[in-house]
Amino acid sequence: MSATRNPNQQPAERVGAGPRKAPEPGNDGPSFGSFTLAWLESHRASLIDSLKRLAWQPIGSFFTCLVMAVALSLPMGLALLLDNVERLGGSWQRAAQISVFLRMDVDTAAGQALRDQIATMPDVADAEWISRERALEEFQQLSGFGEALRELPENPLPSAVRVTPNEVDKTRLGTLRERLAALPGVELAQLDQVWVERLSAILMLGDRFVFGLAILLIATLLLVVGNTIRLHIENRRTEIEVVKLVGGTDSYVRRPFLYMGTLYGIGAGLLAWLVLAYGLTWLNKAVVKLAGLYDSDFSLAGVPTEDGFSLLTGAILLGYIGAWIAVARHLRELAPR
Amino acid sequence: MIRFEQVGKRYPNGHVGLHELSFHTERGEFLFVTGHSGAGKSTLLRLLLAMERPTSGKLLLAGQDLSRISNAQIPFLRRQIGVVFQNHQLLFDRTVFDNVALPLQILGLSKPRIHQRVLTALERVSLKDRAQQYPCDLSTGQQQRVGIARAVVHRPALLLADEPTGNLDPRLAAEIMGVFEDINRLGTTVLIASHDLALIARMRHRMLTLQRGRLIGDGEAGQ
Repeated sequence: MSATRNPNQQPAERVGAGPRKAPEPGNDGPSFGSFTLAWLESHRASLIDSLKRLAWQPIGSFFTCLVMAVALSLPMGLALLLDNVERLGGSWQRAAQISVFLRMDVDTAAGQALRDQIATMPDVADAEWISRERALEEFQQLSGFGEALRELPENPLPSAVRVTPNEVDKTRLGTLRERLAALPGVELAQLDQVWVERLSAILMLGDRFVFGLAILLIATLLLVVGNTIRLHIENRRTEIEVVKLVGGTDSYVRRPFLYMGTLYGIGAGLLAWLVLAYGLTWLNKAVVKLAGLYDSDFSLAGVPTEDGFSLLTGAILLGYIGAWIAVARHLRELAPR
Repeated sequence: MIRFEQVGKRYPNGHVGLHELSFHTERGEFLFVTGHSGAGKSTLLRLLLAMERPTSGKLLLAGQDLSRISNAQIPFLRRQIGVVFQNHQLLFDRTVFDNVALPLQILGLSKPRIHQRVLTALERVSLKDRAQQYPCDLSTGQQQRVGIARAVVHRPALLLADEPTGNLDPRLAAEIMGVFEDINRLGTTVLIASHDLALIARMRHRMLTLQRGRLIGDGEAGQ
């Protein structure tokens, strides 16, 4: 085989060329353009063939996609729920407020100036000035010691600034609290660290759980695709042996199975997207009802479009990789006998 | 065309397939390889198809050393060889046309060219009118002729056949041999492994006789 051929060359003179030269042994070999077209045609034929083979077994193909979809939607669904919990944590910022108690000698004007200074700090969403009189009034109402407090000769409570942070993050809240405590005129900056730490720990646990689950389910998914492709390979063993005997390269043999893995991935990705979208909508009704009981307008966000496309891309990649691994494992066993 | 120089093939279990086999063939030659079961006929064909490698000696096919051929080169070597099997190795879920078209699809020929070549090859084996049928609709002899059409459709330099008439009655066997001779007349080297000595004797071509992996005879059949 050579790129340029003698038109008078006889068949018996053509054996012995290397692999990268023009592949056609006849004296009417394809030009680069027609070879490219033929290569594209070969891909088209592999794709159509794979589609047909999946369509011939619609139930089997559907269930394979469904198993993959479930494996994909579990970690993705949990990740979306965690996102929603983090969003919910954001809406609970008030529960993570920092109370900045001022020294008793700080007067109203200095206290309000300090409030203005705190309000301009980067991690602060809101700063509210609470005078000594208002503090006493609130304490009388909330503590139930109203009458007793009225008997005191003077107001024992300091003025304060109630600081609402931008977001609930344990590290950033700790830093903010230290910066507030260091301000002049501040006696004490108090944060409900325990609550924040618990929420942070729960979210971290959730993240790790989702990560571990994702790894396990990705491995499961690769095994499902690999096993399915292995069965397809077994069913086409004779064909593969013949193809190899008449000069089919490994990539030629591999191609239809890679298309098949990719098609499984597309089917699984779309199904997983559908399952998640429907599942979150279904769950949202109960969440909205529960949130309403706590005077909250919280509701679950659906599957963001970009997350949906990430899910689809991931599914396609996993289908492709699973098929590649399966074919690579079995290709050596498929030597003609 | 084919040159065996002291070629030996020993399997891991100790069995010797070929023992220091030496012979060569010219381009366009027609020869038979004969011998009893286990004589080494199939081993010889498998070495030529690079399905196995010699454990000693040198095997050249049109100057290319098959004992040193890389795995990546093997498919390209096989595109220069046509193979006919005793059991046809046809794909029963494809039409006769698609079976014969397979080597051309692998070569990357355009659809019109594949169409033309396949019909020419089927015409050569008198099966042009069966192109759209499935192999299971054909007789054993016709299936074998489809196998031959597939083996020659890409105009190989060398045609190998392993017991191609093993399952056929004498009339059909003679007919199939006639097809091989037609192909040989076009310049293709034909090497047939067969133990049908009566048939071989009638054809008056060169015959290599193997026994337990050794070459014990090399001469014209029938002499």
